[in-house]
Amino acid sequence: MYEDGWIPTVCYQCKAECSILALVKNGIVQEVKGNPRARGKMCVKGMAGITSLYSKERLTHPMKRVGERGEGKFERISWDEAMEMMETKLRALHEKGEGHKFTYSMFPHSASDPKWRFVNAYGGFISTGLPHCDSGKIMAHLHTFGCFPNHHIAPMYFSVPKGGLMILSGRHPFGCMDDACVAKDILDAKERGAKLIVIDPIFRPEAAKADWWIPIKPGGDAAFFLGVCNYLLLNNLHNKEFCDKWVREGDMEKLLDYIADKSPEKMSAICEVPAADIIKLAKMVAEAPSACIDAFKSIMYGNAMDWGQVWSIFLVITGNLDNPGGQPLPELTPMAPVNPVPTPPNLKELGYHRTGPNREKFDHYNFILEPTWYAAQAIKEGNLKIFFATECNPALSEMGAAAWREAVSMKDDDGNYMLDFFMVSEILPSETMKWADLVLPDQTNYERWELLYMPWWYNYSHGASLCRPVVKPVGEARHTNNVIIELGKRMFPEFFAFKDDVEYYDIELGGVGMSIDKLMENGGLWSPGTVGFYKYKDKKKFDTPSGKIELDWNMYADINQQWPSPELPLEYRKEEDNFPFILINFRTIFLNNTGAWSHNNAQLRDPVSGLDSNPIMINPIDASRLDINEGDTVFLESTTGKVSSIVQLTEKIKPGCIGIIHGFGQTVGQVATMVSCFNDNELIADAGSHLDEQDLRGGEAHVSTRVTIYK
Amino acid sequence: MKQLSIMVDMDRCIGCKTCVVACRNHHNLVNHRSHMPGEIPFYIKVESQAEGTFPHLKEDFWVSPCKHCKTAPCATACESGAIRKDAQTGIVLIDKDKCTGAKKCIEKCPYNVIQFNAEKNYAHKCNMCYDRVVHGEEPVCVEICLTNALSFGEKEILKMQAQANGKEIIKAMSSQSIIYVKSSS
Ligand code: SF4
Ligand code: SF4
Repeated sequence: MYEDGWIPTVCYQCKAECSILALVKNGIVQEVKGNPRARGKMCVKGMAGITSLYSKERLTHPMKRVGERGEGKFERISWDEAMEMMETKLRALHEKGEGHKFTYSMFPHSASDPKWRFVNAYGGFISTGLPHCDSGKIMAHLHTFGCFPNHHIAPMYFSVPKGGLMILSGRHPFGCMDDACVAKDILDAKERGAKLIVIDPIFRPEAAKADWWIPIKPGGDAAFFLGVCNYLLLNNLHNKEFCDKWVREGDMEKLLDYIADKSPEKMSAICEVPAADIIKLAKMVAEAPSACIDAFKSIMYGNAMDWGQVWSIFLVITGNLDNPGGQPLPELTPMAPVNPVPTPPNLKELGYHRTGPNREKFDHYNFILEPTWYAAQAIKEGNLKIFFATECNPALSEMGAAAWREAVSMKDDDGNYMLDFFMVSEILPSETMKWADLVLPDQTNYERWELLYMPWWYNYSHGASLCRPVVKPVGEARHTNNVIIELGKRMFPEFFAFKDDVEYYDIELGGVGMSIDKLMENGGLWSPGTVGFYKYKDKKKFDTPSGKIELDWNMYADINQQWPSPELPLEYRKEEDNFPFILINFRTIFLNNTGAWSHNNAQLRDPVSGLDSNPIMINPIDASRLDINEGDTVFLESTTGKVSSIVQLTEKIKPGCIGIIHGFGQTVGQVATMVSCFNDNELIADAGSHLDEQDLRGGEAHVSTRVTIYK
Repeated sequence: MKQLSIMVDMDRCIGCKTCVVACRNHHNLVNHRSHMPGEIPFYIKVESQAEGTFPHLKEDFWVSPCKHCKTAPCATACESGAIRKDAQTGIVLIDKDKCTGAKKCIEKCPYNVIQFNAEKNYAHKCNMCYDRVVHGEEPVCVEICLTNALSFGEKEILKMQAQANGKEIIKAMSSQSIIYVKSSS
C-alpha cells in the first residue's frame, strides 16, 4: 500500500487543505511541495508538517483521565476500552431521548464528512469554528443571492482582469487560509494590471504590497462601504442594467431610501477614513472592469451581519457576481449520496444555541450550524452533555476562555460534571486535552484517507482531491473518521453499512464517474477544469425564495433589522473611557490559529522559520502618551480578562489600537511552552453569558473587545 | 565569467519563510523528532526593512542565502582548502571531508550564513542545491517559493530578464552573486 517516490496527497496543516506531493523514501516523508497539477503551492506551515508528523510529542495511544478535569493527568488504555467508554456514554444519552445534547466540534473535510454523518444519525449537532469566522458572510450571501460562500471562497484572484480591483478589508490572504497559491495569484494579478487595495488598521505584508493602503477604524467596514455605495448610487455610477434585471422589484427603491443619508462625510465620522478617500474608491470602482472584496477579521465582530449585508449590496450594485474578478457563486461537486442518508435534527428547535434567559429571542436565529460560543452557557444550563472535539482546540479558540474552563469543570449538586463526557482526538498535545475524559491519538494527513470536495475551497471548489496515507501511522494512532465509523456501525448500522472510509468515498466518487482507484491513477485529483461564470444567467435566477437578488432582508422586519446599521460593533462602542484601545487580534501564516499542531511544531516556533513571540503592538504616539517603552512588560485588560506581555512599538498600527496575534496560549507540550505566550481569548467576553448583546440573527461572532494597557 | 545566480524579486517576496523550511527539509537539516526552536540550522533567512511613520509606510522583504561571493572571504580564510568557488558554476562549495572544524570561515563570512555541525565538527552552508542544478533543476527555494519571487539561472541572463521586465537592480544589495530587484517607481 505504501510506495516510495513523489506521492500526490493533501496537506492538513491548516484548513485550506492544499493539494501537494510528498516525497517518500524508505517509508519516511522527506520532502513536500505544492502539486503542480493543482494550484502548485504549499506554505511554510505545510512545509513544516513533516515536523508534526515525526514529532516526539505525537500522541500514540488512547488515554483516559485519572485526575480532575483541568489537571491533565491520564493513563494509557486500550482502543477497546476507549470504544466502550464512548459507546456507553452515547447510548445512555440517546436512550434518554436527549441526542440533541451531544455536540461534535470539528472541521468537516467535506459536506459528507463521516463524522458529520454520525452526528446526524445520532441526532446531535456539529459545532464548528466556522461560525466564528464566516457566519456573517455566509448568512449575508445566503439571504441576498442564495449561495453559500465562506472565507475559503475568496475572490478567485486568478480570474481578476487587468484594471480589476482586489479589495482586502480586514483580511490577510498572504497567510494562506484559502490556499497556498493565493499570495502568488494576487501578485500575478497585480502584474497584469489589477489593483490591490488594502483596508486595514494594521500594516501587514498585504499592505506593503498594496497599491493603496487605507487604515480604517476596526469595525468601520460597514460604514466605509455604505459611503462608497451611497456615492455610487446617488451619482448614478452603479450597474443599473444589472440591478434592473436581477434585483427583486422594489428593493432598489427601498435601498435608495435607506442609503440616502449614508453620505461619505457621515460615514467618514464612523470609520475614520477621510470622505475624499471614500469617494476616490467609489470612482475607481465605477471605472474598473471588476471589483471584489475579501474580508475575514472584519466580519467576526458584533456588526458582522451589517457588514455582510453592505458587502452584498456593494457586489450587487456594481454587478460583481459570478464574473471574472468578482464574487464567485460556488457549487457543490455532484458526489453520489451514500444511502440511506441520515436526517439531521431540527437545529432551530433543538439546537443548544437556544440558551440563556432570553432563549425565545433566538427565534430569528438563522445560522445553519451551532456556533461553539454558546457551548459554555449550554453546559452550565444542562443543555450539553457529551462533547467531542477533533482537530480543534476550544480551550484556546473559545471567546471567553475563562467561562469555557469553568463550564467544562462545573459539577452538579451530586458532584458529577455538568458536561457528562468529553472526548478529544488530536495528533499532538492540545490545551483542550487537559479537560478531556478520553484522549484519542489521531492520524496526520500523511497517515490517513480523506476525500475533499467542499464547495468553498479555493483550490478545488469545482473538483475533488484525495488525501491518502503515504506512510505507516505512528504508534496506535487511528484516524478519527474510522473510529467514528466504527461507532456508527455499532450504534446505527443502517447508516454505516459500507465497509470503511475508503468504500464510503468510493461510493461518493461514483457521482463524478470516479472511484478511489481511478482517482489515484488520476494523480489524486479530479476537476472538470471549469469554475463557471454567470451561472445565474443559465439558470435565469438566483437561489433565493424570489429567484431574484434580495437586498431587503424582510425576515428581520419585525426586529427592525432588515437594513444594515453603519455603526461600529457594539463591543467597540461601550466602556470607551475605561478601556480606550481597540484590540486587533490578527492571524499570521505561521500559526494555524489555535490549532494544537502548529504550537507544538518546532519549525513554526523557531525564530528563523516561524514565530516565537506574541508581543503587544502599540503605536509610538500612544506609547509616549502613556510613558510605555519598547520591551516594557505591560498588562492588557478588558472588562472580562487580563493578560501580560512585552511591548513592541510599531508604526504599523493605527493609533488607538492594540495589536496581538491570535492563537497563542497553549500550556501543554515542550515546544509550545518554551516561550510563554498569552491567549487573546482570555480578554474576550463569553458570548453565551452576554446574550443581551448577542446577535440573534445567527451571524455574528464577537471575537474582539476594547482594552486598556498599563505598566 | 561563469556564475549561476538567484534573483530575488522584492515586489513579490512577502517574508513567509516557506523557502527556509523547504530548504531544511531538502538538505536534511532538521531532526523532526528532537530539534527544538532556536537550534535548527538554516541555509537561507528572511530579512525585511520598514520605513516611514504611520500612515506613510513602506516595507520590503527579501531572503539571504549564501551570496556565493565573487572572491569568497570564507574560501580565503580556510587554511585546509576545504572551500572553493566552483569554476563551472560559480557556486562556493565546502568540502566537509576536508573541513577541520576551525571555524575561520564563519568568522570571515560578511553575511553570517555559514552553519556549524558541532556534533560532527564541520561547517556547512547553502550550495545553491549543486546536486540539483547540475541536473538541470532549480534550487529548492526557487522551485517552491510561495510567490514565485525567486528566479534561477546564469547571472547575466537574469540581469537581462530583470531589465526586460522593468525591474531595477538594487546595487547595494547585489554586489555578489545573488541579485535583488524591484520595480523602478
Ligand atoms: S495553506 Fe494550509 S493546507 Fe495549504 S500548504 Fe499551507 S498549511 Fe497546508
Ligand atoms: S518563500 Fe518566497 S516569498 Fe516566502 S520568504 Fe521565501 S523568497 Fe520570500
